[in-house]
Amino acid sequence: MKKALIIVAALTLAPTFAAAESFEKAYLKARAMYGQGAVFEWQGNQYVATHEEESEANVDATEANAQMMIDKAKAKNKEVAALGFEWKLTGDILKKAEAAKADGDYRKALDLAAQAKYHARIGIQQYHYAQSNWQLSVPE
Amino acid sequence: MKIIKMMTLSLGVVLATQMTQAADSGFTLATVNPEADRTALQNYFKKRFPESEVQDYVNGIYAVDADSRAQWEEIEEFPPYEFAVEEGEELFNTPFANGKGYADCFENGGVGIRQNFPYWSKEEGTVKTLEMEINECREANGEQPLKWGKGEIAKVSAYMAWTSRDQVFDVKIPEGDTAAMAAYLDGKKFFYAKRGQLNLSCANCHVQGTNIRIRADLPSPQLGHVSHFPVFRSKWGDLGTLHRRYSGCHKDSRSKPLKPQTETFRNLEYFQTYMSNGLVVNGPGARK
Amino acid sequence: MQKLKTSFYAAGLMAMLSAGTAQAVDKAELIAMGKAVYLNKSKGNCVSCHQIEDADATQAGNQGPPIVAMKQRFPDKAVLRAQVWDATVNNPLTIMPPLGKHWILSEQEIDAVVEYVYQF
Repeated sequence: MKKALIIVAALTLAPTFAAAESFEKAYLKARAMYGQGAVFEWQGNQYVATHEEESEANVDATEANAQMMIDKAKAKNKEVAALGFEWKLTGDILKKAEAAKADGDYRKALDLAAQAKYHARIGIQQYHYAQSNWQLSVPE
Repeated sequence: MKIIKMMTLSLGVVLATQMTQAADSGFTLATVNPEADRTALQNYFKKRFPESEVQDYVNGIYAVDADSRAQWEEIEEFPPYEFAVEEGEELFNTPFANGKGYADCFENGGVGIRQNFPYWSKEEGTVKTLEMEINECREANGEQPLKWGKGEIAKVSAYMAWTSRDQVFDVKIPEGDTAAMAAYLDGKKFFYAKRGQLNLSCANCHVQGTNIRIRADLPSPQLGHVSHFPVFRSKWGDLGTLHRRYSGCHKDSRSKPLKPQTETFRNLEYFQTYMSNGLVVNGPGARK
Repeated sequence: MQKLKTSFYAAGLMAMLSAGTAQAVDKAELIAMGKAVYLNKSKGNCVSCHQIEDADATQAGNQGPPIVAMKQRFPDKAVLRAQVWDATVNNPLTIMPPLGKHWILSEQEIDAVVEYVYQF
């Protein structure tokens, strides 16, 4: 929870943050330009642009792991729903993840659950961003 | 982890300054000014479409796009909602099982009152819409409530709008009523905030994006949005309520859509109708 | 963080290697996929806002700029990719959905649509 909030804050404020480029900004830039697995440097260290959820799903494709990832995604989606910012397709992705798990395709279940969890996390960021930036498009 | 923690600390300061800036421009309960909002919106559209008359915005996209207007005027010659209004009148005048009817629930027998909705109810502490009161009327008289989106409720609402044509919208936010102002602000915020997987605000299409093609469709201006509801939409092939349209739009942003008549949508209707104060009721309407 | 960093690094190198091979083999396929992404409503749906000189892109909208002179406008293809991935970086109010950041398209679909539009 704490960690999610920290990342939200970093992302929300990145454009107004005049000092050194934030980690989040550097990460997003690398990912945007070169895709998953892009290597980038930040404050002298090298990192790889892999989403938190992608590395969480990068475990053995077992039923237990698939279930754990699905549970995490569901919990995250509940959080974003409580804020009124749940995305339209996330519920369906979760259903597909559960179907894949039932079919024994644990890899697919893990990947789908990772996407659902990512959607929920970014929806939470979107909510926080909206709280302080919704007025940008109001005609004055 | 340590690095990220440090960053949060300094970012907290930035957040605080951002919030003070926003507090000066009508975006908080302390500073929000609905009349200034309404004027600013009208001026925005006057500037964008200098040829269009403010009063004409009740006609939606046809107020600003001459090409599609001719087509629409042809449709309006034999309005597709005509039968729905007739059916609505019949439903309106059919007594409930207890012998009472809709006319007993509303001011002036329910005729010519559409322009008074939505309104802020101090007693209930919430925004009341016409459709909401239609169902409350039914329940108070021992009838089942109607489904919100289409069918009977849209027809009754259409008839009530029909009897109110050319009446001027005059939605009020009771002076000094903080809760009413908060509802207005909530609606305004909903309208301008980006949401959903597609990251769209209502304003993306209906303010900045007005009259610019999305595929072959032209988004309508938000000014005048509520005046012509309920609406007969060619895409639906029938009549639907304003909140049916809200759910559809909300879904188009790839959000999980809210249900009609939820508090957020009623607040949105409150804000949007206030923006159309001074314009006339011209529902029901016909749209693509 | 330290441990994650090293594992990320190794995984990244492998991903880059395999991506490189795929690109060399299948560029035509990638472009065909990109075109489908461009036109498909439930994929990129780029045609809803951007005109493009492709006979199959009928009734294109004009909310966004037309897809022309892409090589001149984006000498660095990665900058174009970043614009598709998240256009709000350059304009927070843009109507253009963040196709990558919101995981509307997969990373491969983004590569594909970039290849497709880069021809124009």
